[in-house]
Amino acid sequence: MTGRPAVLVVCYGNPLRGDDAVGWRVAESIASDPRLAGAHVMTAHQLLPELAVEVAEADLAVLVDARMGEPPGSISVMHVAPCADRGPFGHVLTPAALGALALSVAGRTADLVVVSIGIERTEPGTALSHAVADAVPSVREVVADLVLAHA
Amino acid sequence: MTTTATDRIVIDPVTRIEGHAKITIHLDDAGEVRDAQFHVTQFRGFERIVQGRPLHEMPSIMARICGICPVSHLVASAKACDEIISVEPPPAGADLRRVMNLAQIAQSNALSFFHLASPDLLFGFDAEAAGRNLFGVAAAAPRLARDGIAIRRFGQQVIEWLGGKRIHPSWIVPGGVDSPLEAETRDRILAAIPEAIAASERAIAWYTGELVRFEEEAASFGDFRSAYMGLVAPDGTVDHYDGLLRVVDADGAYLADRIDPRGYADLIGEAVEPWSFLKSTYWKDLGYPDGVYRVGPLARVVVAERMGTPRADAELGRFRERLGRVPSSSFHYHYARLIDMLYALERIEELLRDPGILSARVRSTGGINRNEGIGVSEAPRGTLMHHYRVDDDGIVEWANLVIATGHNNLAMNRSVAQVAKAYVRSATLSEAMLNRVEAVIRCYDPCLSCSTHALGEMPLRVQLLGPDHAMLDELVR
Repeated sequence: MTGRPAVLVVCYGNPLRGDDAVGWRVAESIASDPRLAGAHVMTAHQLLPELAVEVAEADLAVLVDARMGEPPGSISVMHVAPCADRGPFGHVLTPAALGALALSVAGRTADLVVVSIGIERTEPGTALSHAVADAVPSVREVVADLVLAHA
Repeated sequence: MTTTATDRIVIDPVTRIEGHAKITIHLDDAGEVRDAQFHVTQFRGFERIVQGRPLHEMPSIMARICGICPVSHLVASAKACDEIISVEPPPAGADLRRVMNLAQIAQSNALSFFHLASPDLLFGFDAEAAGRNLFGVAAAAPRLARDGIAIRRFGQQVIEWLGGKRIHPSWIVPGGVDSPLEAETRDRILAAIPEAIAASERAIAWYTGELVRFEEEAASFGDFRSAYMGLVAPDGTVDHYDGLLRVVDADGAYLADRIDPRGYADLIGEAVEPWSFLKSTYWKDLGYPDGVYRVGPLARVVVAERMGTPRADAELGRFRERLGRVPSSSFHYHYARLIDMLYALERIEELLRDPGILSARVRSTGGINRNEGIGVSEAPRGTLMHHYRVDDDGIVEWANLVIATGHNNLAMNRSVAQVAKAYVRSATLSEAMLNRVEAVIRCYDPCLSCSTHALGEMPLRVQLLGPDHAMLDELVR
C-alpha cells in the first residue's frame, strides 16, 4: 500500500445551488482538521468515471453528498457495494457504479461509504440553509470517526 | 416504441451524446425514406443572456455554456475580448492558453471515443443495448476502458492544475491568462504525458485493427461528398488556438485558403429552421442547404497539410494511406479524433518544454478600444466563433456564437437520412436502424449544450412519418 492514499474523501455537489454545496463546505471543514490530515480530500460536482482511479487506489472512500427528501441537516451513513448500472451511460455515476467501474478497470475498489446530509433547497446561490449549515461540524465528526475507525 | 396507423419514424431520446434531440424520418408515397431531420429541442439563448453585461465578464459567462468544453468558450471569448481591448497576449500567455485548450481537446476526445463511441465499436452495432456502455467495455476490455479514463483524467487534471478547477476555470482572461505557470506544475504535467501518449497509441492500434469490421457502417454513416473547414497555421499545420481558415472541397481543392477567420460572415451563412433550435451554417457560395461542410477532428486532419508533431504525423500518414486525402465518410471522425488527441498530447509537451512558458509576463491590459471583436479557435468538435459588439463603456450590445455543432448540422441531417435509407425497410423501426442512427450522430460528437444550448444528457426520440406527415412509428431510447 506504499504511496497509496489509504483514505479518499470525495465531497460532491453543485457549489452554486444552495444546500447542494454542503459537500464542499464539509471539505473546507475537513481541510483544517488534523485528525484527517492523511486523507486525500477532493471536491467534485458529480461522480465521474475518472474518479475510478482514485477509488481503486484507496482502501476507504467516503463520499459526502447532499440528499433531498430527508430532514434538513439529518446525517445518514450507508455502506455501498459495487454495482454496475447497466443503463445508458451518461457522465454521472452512482457511488455503487463508481465502485464497480474501479473494480472492472483496476481489479480492486475501496470500501465505499456514503455520508448523506438531508437538504431543503437547491435554488441558485451559495448560502446554505441554517439547518444544513449547522450540520457541517457534525458531518465532519462522522467522517473523522469513519476514517479513524478505518485506521 | 409506439406504433400508429400511418407514416413517420421518431427516435427519442438519442443516447450517449451531449444534450437532447429528436429525429424524424419522412417516407414518400412508395414507403421509401425521403428525408430525415435532426431536431434539437431545447433552448438556452446565451446570445441574449449576455446583452447588457460588461465585457470583462464575457469569458466567465460564456464558459458556462458547457461543462464539457468550457475552455473552448473561454478561449474564443477571450480572443474576442482581446480584439475589443486591442491587445495581444504576451507569448507565454498565448502558449498557456494553447496548453489548456489542448488539454481540453485531449479529454473531450477521450470522452467521445472511449466513453461514448467505444461500446458500439467493441460490441458491434447490433449488440444488446443494455451492455453497450462503459461498464460493458470495462468488463470486456479493461485496458481500453482504463486508457480512456486515464487520458480524460490527464486532460482534466491539466485544466485543474492550470486554472484551479476542472470545470469552468476562469484562468483565461482578456489579454492572456490570470497567473504564470509554476515550474512544479509544468513538471507534474510533463511527468504524466508519456503514459497519456502510450494510452493514446494503444487506442489507435486497437481501433485501426478493428476498422475492417465496420466497412458497412463506413459506407452509410454520412458517406457523401462535402467540404471541410478548419484552422491552419501559416505553414499549413493544424492550429487549435489561432490560425487561418481553410476550406477544402471533396476533391481536396481549396475553396478558401488561409483566410482571416474574423471575416467568417462573408463566407458562412446561418439558416434557421422552425423544427430545431440548432442553427444550420452553410457555405455561402453553394447556398442553403447545398453548402454543406464538416468541421471537427476529421476536418482538421483533412484541411491541414500535416499535424506538426512526429507521432501524430506518422499516424496521419497511415490514415491517408488507408482512407485517402479527403475521406467521404463521417465514420472516420473516430480515427481522426484519435490522431487529434495524440497531437494534443504531443503538442502540450512541446509547449511546456519551451523555457519561455515559465515567463511571468502572461497578460496584457487595455481599455475599450474597439466596439467589435471576433474570437475564433478550434474546439474539440470544430471551429468555434465568438463575435461581440459593445458600446463605448464596454457593455455588450450584441453577440453571435457560431458553434461546431451548428457547422455540422446540415451534415448530421444528411447522415441521419443516409442511415435511415440504408436501414429503414418498412413502416416500422428496428433496433438495427435505431442503433445506427444514434451511432452516426455520435461520429460528430455533437454538443447540444453548446449549440442551442441544451442542458443535461441527450435522450433520443425517432419518429417515422408518412407522406401525409402522420406518425407511423416511434422509438424512444
